[in-house]
Amino acid sequence: MADRFQELLEELRQGVTEYDEERVKVAAQAVLDEGFDAYDAVMNGLAAGMEEVGRLFGANEYFVPEVLMCADALYGGLEILRPHIEVDPSRQVKGAVVIGTVEGDVHDIGKNLVKLMFEIAGFTVHDLGRDVPLEKFVEEVLSTDSDFLCMSAMMTTTMGGMKQVIDQVRQKNPNVKIMVGGAPLTGDLAQRWGADGYGKDAPNALQEALRMVGSLREMHQEAAKGG
Amino acid sequence: MATATKTARERVMALFARERQTPVPVFSGMGNVTVYGLEDAGIGFAQVHGDAEAMARAAASSYERFGYEAVVVPFDLGVEAEAMGRTLNTYASSDGILYPTVQNKLPATADNFQVPADLELRGRIPLVAQAIRLVKERLGEQVAVGSYVLGPFTLAGQVLELDQLLKLAGKDQTQMHVILERAGEVAAREAEAYRAAGADFVTVREMGAASDILSPRMFRNLIQPHLKEVFAQVGGPTVLHICGSTQNIVEMMADCGATAVSVDQKNDLAASRATLGPEKLLFGNLDPYKVLVQGTPEQVREAVRNCVAAGADAVWPGCDIWPTVPAENMQAMMDASREQA
Repeated sequence: MADRFQELLEELRQGVTEYDEERVKVAAQAVLDEGFDAYDAVMNGLAAGMEEVGRLFGANEYFVPEVLMCADALYGGLEILRPHIEVDPSRQVKGAVVIGTVEGDVHDIGKNLVKLMFEIAGFTVHDLGRDVPLEKFVEEVLSTDSDFLCMSAMMTTTMGGMKQVIDQVRQKNPNVKIMVGGAPLTGDLAQRWGADGYGKDAPNALQEALRMVGSLREMHQEAAKGG
Repeated sequence: MATATKTARERVMALFARERQTPVPVFSGMGNVTVYGLEDAGIGFAQVHGDAEAMARAAASSYERFGYEAVVVPFDLGVEAEAMGRTLNTYASSDGILYPTVQNKLPATADNFQVPADLELRGRIPLVAQAIRLVKERLGEQVAVGSYVLGPFTLAGQVLELDQLLKLAGKDQTQMHVILERAGEVAAREAEAYRAAGADFVTVREMGAASDILSPRMFRNLIQPHLKEVFAQVGGPTVLHICGSTQNIVEMMADCGATAVSVDQKNDLAASRATLGPEKLLFGNLDPYKVLVQGTPEQVREAVRNCVAAGADAVWPGCDIWPTVPAENMQAMMDASREQA
């Protein structure tokens, strides 16, 4: 029984890393049909596969097209498994996140990968999309009472908008965790603007998102041990 | 000394004819408008893209005020998408400077990318051509007039959804080649329209194909053949510019048929020079934001000296000049090359 589950987890991992959406879907369906735990399959199958994708990207073996295809394969499995995840507050990361690309910027690939990471982890994601007017971020964070705000900008020309949003959100709710990412940012700048986290440049932002899948899995494992 | 009597245009055109210049020319083939130029033209950034006269005046300003050795129009990256029927947002109501973006990209299929028969008459291509004519009439004797077009992949990514296009590159190379061939036709015909209007040189910007995004193998199989097609069709001096990680593809870039290759600050210019050898024209690679906007004049001088020392045949900022660049930094950039000579 345990061996069979390991086999399915390996199928999910490989299906993701080899961007084979059909293979992921078949394995995900088998997880359900054979009565295994959907949440385990997401974290130790799909997310583990994406962690490996992050490693391959960092090692210049995979580039953006491959990462996007892997993400599609992951989504194929996630759609099957997610409705069957039993909500167990003791082991799931909870919370809500508002995410979007700032006004003037239509580059949303990195943002979508960060979004994927939050979805895997079970967050409620409010995706504002791309080219989002600055006031919309503030409104959405307040109206949804979200814990996280993630903003991205791929261009020097648009990143300044983030500071305005951070200032306005902080004024109204100092506890919101704010992460910023995108090619033109620096850690120094993100810190000066009052953000809690940042992605150093385009590939690093992508990697940061993929790396966070890993750290969220750790959180899950810690929570599982504790619970 | 002969150099003292040469015009900026003579220096740049001689460089394109492979006669190295002293001092090393400082110019670029990408957007060079500054807030001072916008002030001179009496127009806002959002409005300048749609006004040939203002565009010509604003572009000329970087030469007139600072001695920048080229005048380049346009300033945005949406001309092709607009000519292909897409709609731009110019952020007319925004206070800050935001570049226009494409609002309604299409699903990434070959069917969705058709070259209009009357391409040269569509969108703002006639307006950019008119701005080139105006600059040429007024300053054509003194300074090189440049324009730019997007490379096939980057151009396709402005018309079609970029994430879908990237996946298509991984999944369906046959369909990608169809799209890129059509995009290459757009780029070449647009470039020829600008040359006919008087552009002395044309830059092809293929920023979407850097090694941050595509593998060098994909660059070789998918990108390079279509860049070669474009450069085979465009006459006169041409430059291939790719920003981002280019170390692993700089040799292929130099083999696309452009007169010169330009890279940005992520490239180790000295290493690229060693790879390419002494003959190839290599431009670069001043950091347009961290140095030119955020640096001190002394840091700008040092960065210019470093470009020259690394083997740049011309000092080019790695991207468009960001309009809020401090005037003293523009001046420092120009002075540094002259001082060194």
